[in-house]
Amino acid sequence: MRGQVVTLLWRAGIAAALVCAIGVLPWLSHADPALTVLKARSADRDPTPEVLADIRAQLGLEDGPLHLLGRWLDGLWRGDAGRSWISGSEVTPAVLQALGVSLLLMAVALAVAVVVAALICARTLWLGAHRRLDGRRAGGSGSAVLAALPEFLTASVLATVVGVQLGWLPALGWYGPQWTVLPALALGLPAGAVLGRLLDDLLPGAFAEPWALAATARGLPGRTVARQALRRCLPGLLPNTGLFVVGLTGGSVTVEQIFDIPGLGRTTLQAALAQDLPVLQAGTLALVLLAAAAAGLAHLLARLLTGPALRDGALPSLHRPSPPTHTILPFAHGGLLAGVIALGLPRDPLALDTAERLKAPSWAHPFGTDALGRDVLARVAHGALDTLLLAFAITVATLLTGVALGLLPRLTGPLVDTVTALPPVLVALLVTAVVGSGTATPALAVAAVAWTPLAAHTSALLRQERAAFHLTATRALGAGPWYLLRHELLPAVVPPVTRHALLRLPGIALALASLAFLGLGAQPPSPEWGLLLAENQPYAERAPWAVLAPAAVLALLGALAVTAASGARWASPRTKAGGGVRLGRRRRRRTEPVVPLPEQPSATEKMVKTG
Amino acid sequence: MPRRTRPLLAALALAPLLAGCFASGGGTDATGDAQDGSRLRVALAFPPAENLSPYGADSTILSRLGVTEGLTALDANGTAAPALAASWRQENDRTWLFTLREATFQDGSAVTPAAVAAALTHATQAEPAPAALAGVTLTAKTEGSTGVRITTGDPDPVLPLRLSSPSLAILSTRAYDKKDDVDPVGTATGPFELTKVMGATAATLDRYDDYWGGRAQAAGIDVKFVADGTARASALRTDQVDLAEAIPVAQAATLDKATREATATTRTTSLLLNTEKGAFKDAGLRAAARQAVDTSAFAKGVYEGYADAGVGIYGPAVTWAAGKRTEPVGRAEPEKPEGTRITLATYDNRPELPEAAQVLKQQLEKAGFDVTLEVREYSRLESDALAGKFDAFVLARNTLVDTGDPISVLASDYTCDGGYNIAQLCDKDVDRAVAKAEDTGDTAERQDAAMAAEARILGTDAVVPLVHQRIITGVGTHVRGALLDPYERTLVGIGTRR
Repeated sequence: MRGQVVTLLWRAGIAAALVCAIGVLPWLSHADPALTVLKARSADRDPTPEVLADIRAQLGLEDGPLHLLGRWLDGLWRGDAGRSWISGSEVTPAVLQALGVSLLLMAVALAVAVVVAALICARTLWLGAHRRLDGRRAGGSGSAVLAALPEFLTASVLATVVGVQLGWLPALGWYGPQWTVLPALALGLPAGAVLGRLLDDLLPGAFAEPWALAATARGLPGRTVARQALRRCLPGLLPNTGLFVVGLTGGSVTVEQIFDIPGLGRTTLQAALAQDLPVLQAGTLALVLLAAAAAGLAHLLARLLTGPALRDGALPSLHRPSPPTHTILPFAHGGLLAGVIALGLPRDPLALDTAERLKAPSWAHPFGTDALGRDVLARVAHGALDTLLLAFAITVATLLTGVALGLLPRLTGPLVDTVTALPPVLVALLVTAVVGSGTATPALAVAAVAWTPLAAHTSALLRQERAAFHLTATRALGAGPWYLLRHELLPAVVPPVTRHALLRLPGIALALASLAFLGLGAQPPSPEWGLLLAENQPYAERAPWAVLAPAAVLALLGALAVTAASGARWASPRTKAGGGVRLGRRRRRRTEPVVPLPEQPSATEKMVKTG
Repeated sequence: MPRRTRPLLAALALAPLLAGCFASGGGTDATGDAQDGSRLRVALAFPPAENLSPYGADSTILSRLGVTEGLTALDANGTAAPALAASWRQENDRTWLFTLREATFQDGSAVTPAAVAAALTHATQAEPAPAALAGVTLTAKTEGSTGVRITTGDPDPVLPLRLSSPSLAILSTRAYDKKDDVDPVGTATGPFELTKVMGATAATLDRYDDYWGGRAQAAGIDVKFVADGTARASALRTDQVDLAEAIPVAQAATLDKATREATATTRTTSLLLNTEKGAFKDAGLRAAARQAVDTSAFAKGVYEGYADAGVGIYGPAVTWAAGKRTEPVGRAEPEKPEGTRITLATYDNRPELPEAAQVLKQQLEKAGFDVTLEVREYSRLESDALAGKFDAFVLARNTLVDTGDPISVLASDYTCDGGYNIAQLCDKDVDRAVAKAEDTGDTAERQDAAMAAEARILGTDAVVPLVHQRIITGVGTHVRGALLDPYERTLVGIGTRR
């Protein structure tokens, strides 16, 4: 109970700090709100000193940030979130309306994601139910490709093909249930792919647990076993699902724009750019509250699903026996990627020729040309190194941060979902305000958000792992907390989180590009992949190759990351021959095998079997 | 059965809740009476930013939809034409007498001199002042039963032009009832009357039957505000709207040829060179940059033909300009750039600008400059640009800003005291030429003086005109009589129907 109160206070503290930070943001970043507000009201108006002075007086900017913040908070106390600086209309109804739209969109997207995840896991579940998982190959690259597809691409394709050309569903607006389908698909497909991959990663472990064996032996139908296996794995995913819910509510700006949906993402983006502080603060507050609610709900659901087992430390460990892995696939993906890069490197990525614009693929331009007549193959190849190095570096950094912070769930839990709830642009603005707009700023801004799903995943796995009774046994044998962490917990947690991090690598490349319009990150004409996607987006229908090429290499990268990662599982020291816990003497230094060890019974299983 | 009915009940309970989560479409059914004309469906690009306040940029929305009118309007030649004022005459250099026509407001009251004077007075008191009144003091008094006498603080030879600005629209006294908020719903004088505004997503308009200029053919207008250009194009292609404003160049090719209407606008995209500091302080290097630029590559390669190659500050939409243009005066001899490093900045709010900047980069590099690009969102760029932090800047600028007067853009952009002088130009000859043009009253002479000033400015090479944009309006094949206006002030009029 005390713990919960502390968590609640901590959460409230974060929210308060955030609202205050937004309140002083313009003064930190030295961007005059009078100017940005004027431009949001009227782009063509010249910023003469008289106009700016009038706006300052109108908004009360002279009083300084603290006074403004105080007044806003005072109003909030009475349920009045002030008036928008741009339009002068009341903030509360506008934000609530946008929140409702976003929540509905998110709910439908969540349903889509669940279906997608179910489809991805169907094979594993079916095989598991029939106890044929042994010797099965780890999940294909299809889901990884799906997860790596940029949202805007799926959205554009759906809007153009299904909405405009086929005319099956309305592609524009938000006026009734049939309007929700396409945007929800665009959001739900990649998210479902990520969730499905994570679940697919856990399921074989559940099926390998002794209860499953016992259940089958007792003649329970495969369906029941599969259902229980699912129930066993879901708690590990719930926090990430919660993050997905929260992240989509405020962060689906692209999809809102393409389908013209009046959601919270666009509202807060506009407010952030125009520095319309009352709207930005109210929107952020709504998102933070939503994050808290989602986290609470995920927590509750996890309780319901695994309840007493979690509390009493009676869970078996979810380590699956290492399945045989792909040996060819990673090489095939890697080879293909390297081939594309090698072919493109001798070409000039910057030479533009507007007479050759938007040419379809041909021998002269195997990937076609972009809107300025540049060779897309050359641009993809030349952008590879920058993109990969930076995205990989950020991935490593976020993995380390995510795991480290994920080990302290009490502290980081609220932080994780608050950060996820924030619109990425706002995070970037906050980061820029703090560190200035240097070369490292875009990387920092992306990393500031990207660690959160990894930390959430770590925490979730850790909770389960802590409740596993092999830990109780190890503890009973006299192991200290550090020993447990190093030899039991980390080995169990790090491999799946690493795979997760790699799965998100293409997303990081995209996130980097999405900051370019703030003047952060790569600037044209650099062929950085995210930028390639962004600059060719308007031509997606007329010159699909210019978008598909960078999207395809990103997807290939995703597939490579996932297949390679499943080839590099961390063989837990605990699963060494003998299976017992060795205490009292220093462990032999042993190089971690890169090739997975053959299947060996874990300590738990041994205990269960003998006990 | 309770287990079965429960979800049903829950769904029923959720339904109104869900309905609140959708946008209201403003969709009164678009059929209407056959002989009464059907309703037009219009997609506009810029959602109202200030609740359709008539004093800011939203005033353009009101004027494009035929809701509001001023005392005067702009005709195709850019001169003032009668609107609510049937005629006017200049009494002395500071006083003008406008004679009103017989008209009624949409709330039924008559357009009286008192109402007009009150509306103009409210506009002068707005904070910030409407752009058309920047730096102008003006008092309006009634004169007899149909006259309004307007006196300006300083002599203002372009007052009739100024009064054509959408931000000086005349609304009935009822519009000003609330203290800070001007309400254009049902209080204007145009052929269409706002009936409902759904925030920044949609609006409904009905025909105003007693319009002084005759009854409009369309029964009403259903407006959607769609900020994304691709989405506007899709709306037109799926027949969700009849008129779609400002289709991006990149999307134009996806529309049927019959539905694309390109109109020359007064917007000119130019390369501004920083004359105060950095490499382009040197007039010889500016001349070299000007020589390096091949304007035809932009009009064809970047704007896909939806633009005309740059010839001057004013493009072909300013119809009188081409006939009066003179050669630039006092150009310097080009020097060799020899690897001079420059930064070229532009913004991405208009997607063609980063592309133009990249083409420009290649052209300048071919001539020997070493160019670094800087592309940001406009509001994050403007203060740096005005402070002269970049050597070169690609800017799309409306050359007949706010008032429809050609001189004001020269004064604000290229004179020492100009408020929007990105080129940081401060040249005695230019200032003198602009001041002379500003003081000229006669329209033809004023235009001559404007062209003389343009020649002076182009002579400094502070600005290299790249293209004169055309705006693409998507017009459904069944629509007749859409007003495609180079000044982007009108779109729907009494003759527009489908």
